[in-house]
Amino acid sequence: MDPLLRVINLSKSFGTLPALQRISFEVFPGEVVGLAGRSGSGKTVLAMLLAGLYKPDTGDIHFDDKRLQWPLRVRELGIEVIHQKPDLAEHLDITGNIFLGNEIGWPANVKWLKVPNRRWMDKEATRILAQLDVHPRSLHEKVSNLTSEQRQMIAIGRVMTRPARLIIVDEPTSLLTYPYQQNLLSLIRNWHQEGTAVIFCSKDLDHLFAVADRIIVLRQGFRVASHRTDETTREEIAATLIGTTDRNELTPTIWALDSYYRAREQAEKLRHQQSLLKSDLAARDTLNRRLVDQLGQQVYALDKANIALQDAQRRLLTEREEERKHLARELHDQLIQDLLGINYQLEEIEADSNLPPHFSQDLQDISDSIRLFIEDLRRICSDLRPPTIDNLGLGVALQSYTRDWSDRTGIDVNLDLDVNLGRLPETIELSIFRIVQESLNNVRNHANATAVDIHLKHTSPRSLTISIADDGHGLSEEFNLSTLSAKGHYGLLGISERVALLGGRLKFLNRAGGGLIIQVEVPHPRVDMPIQGTPK
Amino acid sequence: MSKDIGVLLQPDKRTWVPQLIRRNWQLLVDRQEFVIFVLLLLVCIFLSFATDTFFTAKNFANLARGFSWIAIIAFGECIVIIIGGIDLSVGAVVALAGLISAYSLHAGLPVPLAIILGLLTGALIGGLNGSVISRLSLPPFIVTLGTMSIVRGLALGLTGGWPIRSLPQEFRMLGQYDVPLGSLAIPLPFLIMLGLAVLMSLLLNRTVLAGYIYTLGNSERALQVSGVNPTYIKILVYSVCGALAAVGGLLLTARLGVAAPTAAQGYELDIIAAAVIGGVSLFGGRGSILGVLLGAAFMQVLRNGIVLLGFPSYWQSVVTGTIILGAILLDSWRRRSNLP
Repeated sequence: MDPLLRVINLSKSFGTLPALQRISFEVFPGEVVGLAGRSGSGKTVLAMLLAGLYKPDTGDIHFDDKRLQWPLRVRELGIEVIHQKPDLAEHLDITGNIFLGNEIGWPANVKWLKVPNRRWMDKEATRILAQLDVHPRSLHEKVSNLTSEQRQMIAIGRVMTRPARLIIVDEPTSLLTYPYQQNLLSLIRNWHQEGTAVIFCSKDLDHLFAVADRIIVLRQGFRVASHRTDETTREEIAATLIGTTDRNELTPTIWALDSYYRAREQAEKLRHQQSLLKSDLAARDTLNRRLVDQLGQQVYALDKANIALQDAQRRLLTEREEERKHLARELHDQLIQDLLGINYQLEEIEADSNLPPHFSQDLQDISDSIRLFIEDLRRICSDLRPPTIDNLGLGVALQSYTRDWSDRTGIDVNLDLDVNLGRLPETIELSIFRIVQESLNNVRNHANATAVDIHLKHTSPRSLTISIADDGHGLSEEFNLSTLSAKGHYGLLGISERVALLGGRLKFLNRAGGGLIIQVEVPHPRVDMPIQGTPK
Repeated sequence: MSKDIGVLLQPDKRTWVPQLIRRNWQLLVDRQEFVIFVLLLLVCIFLSFATDTFFTAKNFANLARGFSWIAIIAFGECIVIIIGGIDLSVGAVVALAGLISAYSLHAGLPVPLAIILGLLTGALIGGLNGSVISRLSLPPFIVTLGTMSIVRGLALGLTGGWPIRSLPQEFRMLGQYDVPLGSLAIPLPFLIMLGLAVLMSLLLNRTVLAGYIYTLGNSERALQVSGVNPTYIKILVYSVCGALAAVGGLLLTARLGVAAPTAAQGYELDIIAAAVIGGVSLFGGRGSILGVLLGAAFMQVLRNGIVLLGFPSYWQSVVTGTIILGAILLDSWRRRSNLP
């Protein structure tokens, strides 16, 4: 393959100072050649010579097998140069600078007299800047207002306006921070992939080894070595850079080079990561706050649902009590009265002496059955709605109920009421009555007990404690309130629901000598009395 | 990753009004063209009241004829100064171009051809200036000073110091004809100047070349690095300047009716003054054709005013010099305050 660029015996001196001395090398198409050398080794002078800015004293440059005459028109040949310090036209804006020398306009072939097409150029400039990851405030910003890093990126953008065969990159990383340096290295790799040859001058061995296929070393204007990157090490390159293989001189130099560039790169990387972390934390912080807000909202919604549920349950219970009251009254007023009436009629018939004697006995039996029937009904009524509770209060109702129950079931009941019980609000009296009722039901159905102790006490001026203790076989080990409903035992569950609605506490304990204690503590409602002297 | 650039100006509530005034004043003063326009208007108004001959059609026609040729040459000088150079040889080119045309007319060539020859003379001398300055990298001041001497010497040597008379009427029409427009009679040179002003303005605003010219004046290296050869642009600009000087010379010759080898001697200062007063910065990179036009008009009105007010014409130079100094001071103050 023919070399794209051939430099033969190029020399340049500035007065008595020789900058380049008989440099010769070749660059093949699509190759990335790294030019390594310390400051003053002639890298920049070589780049300037190849850019056509300096005239070589001796030597030839052949591009594409054509000998180039000075003055070189490098851009037309397809050679682009990125200099160490960007030379921008200060009074032009970003688009003007990117397209300087290369404006798109009409008519296209007339070189200088064409009218530039601003809109097209703006569009292209935006595309190029996006590729470079540069985001200025506006395309029409004057370049003198930009940071030197952005100016360097614009100088790089200038190179990307037309396709190039050879791009010479002269240490532009000195003005760029870490992320942009990586951008540039990836750009060079892209150019390499597109088949553009690149000459990359740098002092940083890491960068050279990252992108170059071949490394040429310059020292004091001479070309001292040319190695393929795969076949050499950094020590070897550094050795040729400083001109000695003496370890004592080499190692510190490598360390110095390493340290300097590595340290700088690490610092840049750290800074970059720090700013990334800061933005990440800020994003996380907002996310957290949002999640907490959402959580708060859901808790609030749950609370509301809970309150609504409790209200519904309270309404349900109240309605049930009303229904029961209604039913009891109907039973009492209608059914029992009718039955009593029938009984009287039977007794009248019986009193009539004209009846045969076995009729009289049958009538007596029927009358007795009806009386028993009325008794049962009365009991049902009173179960449904203890009549005394409305008129005489909880204490009296409990006494009569427990006496009745004890008579019926044969289990002893010991009722111990607080002396200062007094009257309580209707709902609470009814709830406590029902709690006792349910507990006694539970004892009768499950406990297998012989005696029950019921206590009702004011444990503090503000709360009431009800305890129902039996001497049966108590609760089993695996007792769990939540499984009760699944098994169909609604009694204890009903107690716990009522207690919850009253805002009280429920405890199930196993008695020392065997048996279950159900302990309920209910807050005693009081009228809010304002403290003397303070506003309400 | 994007970077934040620029300085955020926090408006201070206390100084909001004065800051607004200061910023707008900056904008006005930044545009020298505006300042000169206002000054021109003021002087015209003043002279209209102070004398009774200023505000007449005849006076305006004279004024127009008087400054048109200076303005045309100043256009050429303008682009030379913008690219950072200067051309002191324009006065001599005026004379030589007039002479070459006169010789061709006497030799029997048709008027258009004579005009073309005159223009070519100017362009060639300009091209010579440009080549020497750019290829040999010599300072423009010295080079054009030398050219001035050479060309003036040529003019004097060719004619032996005598003017060339008896130019044909068709030629003289260029400088003396008045184009009738309704009730007014507008001098032809003035219209030619306006036409050239528009053309040069288009060149200096709308083309790619305009960008190159201003960039040459501001940052020559940027142009070099971008692949544009500054040498060619310089040669072009100096050639255009020479050609425009030739146009001015032809108009002057046509108006006077004689081609004098001493024509425009000493007018170099007036031409450069017209450009500088119009906002062209002597440091390069700034300027506009409109400004130059206004500057030339302003100078002519001043000269006219001095005469009409009865002052000796020696005071003209004093006034001119003072105004030039003022314009340069303003320009340097503007430059300093615009530096980041």
